[in-house]
Amino acid sequence: MDRRKFFKTMLATPLLYPLILSTEKSGSNLELYIIADEPQLFLPTLLSEIQKYSSAERRVFGLLNSHPVEAAIKHALLKTGWSFTSISQSANLTLSFSHLRHKALPSFTLVRNERIHDIRSRRLLSLWRKMNGEHEPSSCLTIASLKRKPLSHASGEFVSIYRNGQKVETLPLTENIVRSYQTPRGRITARIENRKAWLTESSCRHEICLHSPPVSFPGQRIICAPNHFLLEIQRTRSVDTVIG
Amino acid sequence: MAKKLAFLFLIFSLLLSCGAKIGWHTSTLLVFDTLCEIRAFCSPSAFRAAHEEMERVFSEIEINFSPQSEEYSSRMVIDLYRRAFQVHQDSEGCFDITVAPLSRLWGFQNKSYSVPTQDQIDSILEQIGMNKIKEDNGALVLLPGMKLDWGGIAKGCAIDLASRALIEMGISRGFINAGGDLYCWGKNPDGQDWNIGIQHPRSKGYLGILSITQLGAATTGDYQRFFIKDGARYHHVFDPRTGYPASGKQSVTVCGPETLLCDALSTALFVSKNPEIIMDKYPEYGAIIIDSEGDISFVGKAYPLSRVE
Repeated sequence: MDRRKFFKTMLATPLLYPLILSTEKSGSNLELYIIADEPQLFLPTLLSEIQKYSSAERRVFGLLNSHPVEAAIKHALLKTGWSFTSISQSANLTLSFSHLRHKALPSFTLVRNERIHDIRSRRLLSLWRKMNGEHEPSSCLTIASLKRKPLSHASGEFVSIYRNGQKVETLPLTENIVRSYQTPRGRITARIENRKAWLTESSCRHEICLHSPPVSFPGQRIICAPNHFLLEIQRTRSVDTVIG
Repeated sequence: MAKKLAFLFLIFSLLLSCGAKIGWHTSTLLVFDTLCEIRAFCSPSAFRAAHEEMERVFSEIEINFSPQSEEYSSRMVIDLYRRAFQVHQDSEGCFDITVAPLSRLWGFQNKSYSVPTQDQIDSILEQIGMNKIKEDNGALVLLPGMKLDWGGIAKGCAIDLASRALIEMGISRGFINAGGDLYCWGKNPDGQDWNIGIQHPRSKGYLGILSITQLGAATTGDYQRFFIKDGARYHHVFDPRTGYPASGKQSVTVCGPETLLCDALSTALFVSKNPEIIMDKYPEYGAIIIDSEGDISFVGKAYPLSRVE
């Protein structure tokens, strides 16, 4: 596969292309999406490549939910200089996993500040070829988020809802609310209860967003790429403008 | 046939005019040496008209109230002078638009900062004081050497005029923010009151977030223009009675119905040692004061403020 086709394929990965969402900067600057049943085979190489693009100094990772090959992933990362924390809020690399309802060819995409990021490196290109050429279609998506700084321990106060990159509304995390949104692909329903927010209905194919664990800490997000939908927890109400 | 065509044309043009998408628009203007941000909910053509109106209002204000202006007889100048004089009296002289010679003496006009001697300050103080200005035949008469500095009130006045013009044009939601001075009306894109972050005087974040609408707000701070000499910080907000930068506060934000008064009051409160006495005369206005220790206090009417830790 030549480079042009490589990037074209990357951008055409059906799950990921609509991730070009603009939103407030939340301290999360790099997100790596890996479709692979055995992400541990690719994670160390991918991380060593993308860390150049992150200002994160610490190498501490945490898991947001459990994974069938969790032990292998931990082992692979520990071997390459990462340390593990059970408190995912204090990690600067957090991993979360979702099962795809439909299998897809192993691949990866890097999203930097809400935009797909194009890294022109030989190592990544050869890794991409290897994943695509030598591995069976997979049904697991791993999202690795590199944070500029660890997520705040402080509880979030608001939930901001974005659709097509535009903010739709901000809801208080302190109230119990169920809200539905029309999207280009159909409908999404978000629920807020006991200071946590999650999605209960989505018209997307893989329903990754529905399996995302509830979020409650500032900076945590749930994304439904096919619906161009993003839900983000905020510490304080976002400001419209600043004086002073 | 011709009638049918005319009818179709009418329907088509109606559809076209309905198609003009109403949405949020943002633009910036460079006025008073600061970037002025405008956000409004309207059609693109209405926003273009609004932008042009803003440019007209701001350029009129700049012509009348620039530091170089020697215009002392226009209606606009006399009107604003009277408003300024009212605040001057209500603040026992803490707000004074005759501080321009002090600003020049300390080097704030051409950025050649220096700390003057007491003799220099004493001699300049003879040219300071709004009570030395007389009104004669619809014109202001200044003593030799006196010069007006409209910086503490003209921006607020421009924002009031511009926002009123935009509201009269039918724009029901928006804000105008020129650096430290703002007016907002209608609801924000979330359908709630506008969330206005107040810059923290010493750190990068916000001091707090005001949630307001149909209101103006203005901030005066010692961090906006200052220089440091021998470890001491000298800023641009002068106490017109001593000739020195006012001490004891880092920032003052005032919120209330008119941006013009917010602007003037924030300067008056910054200088005054008794902010409560001034605010008693303006019951519709509220102030957030950060003293030199960084402690926050509230004076006057309370507006919804969420603190940022």
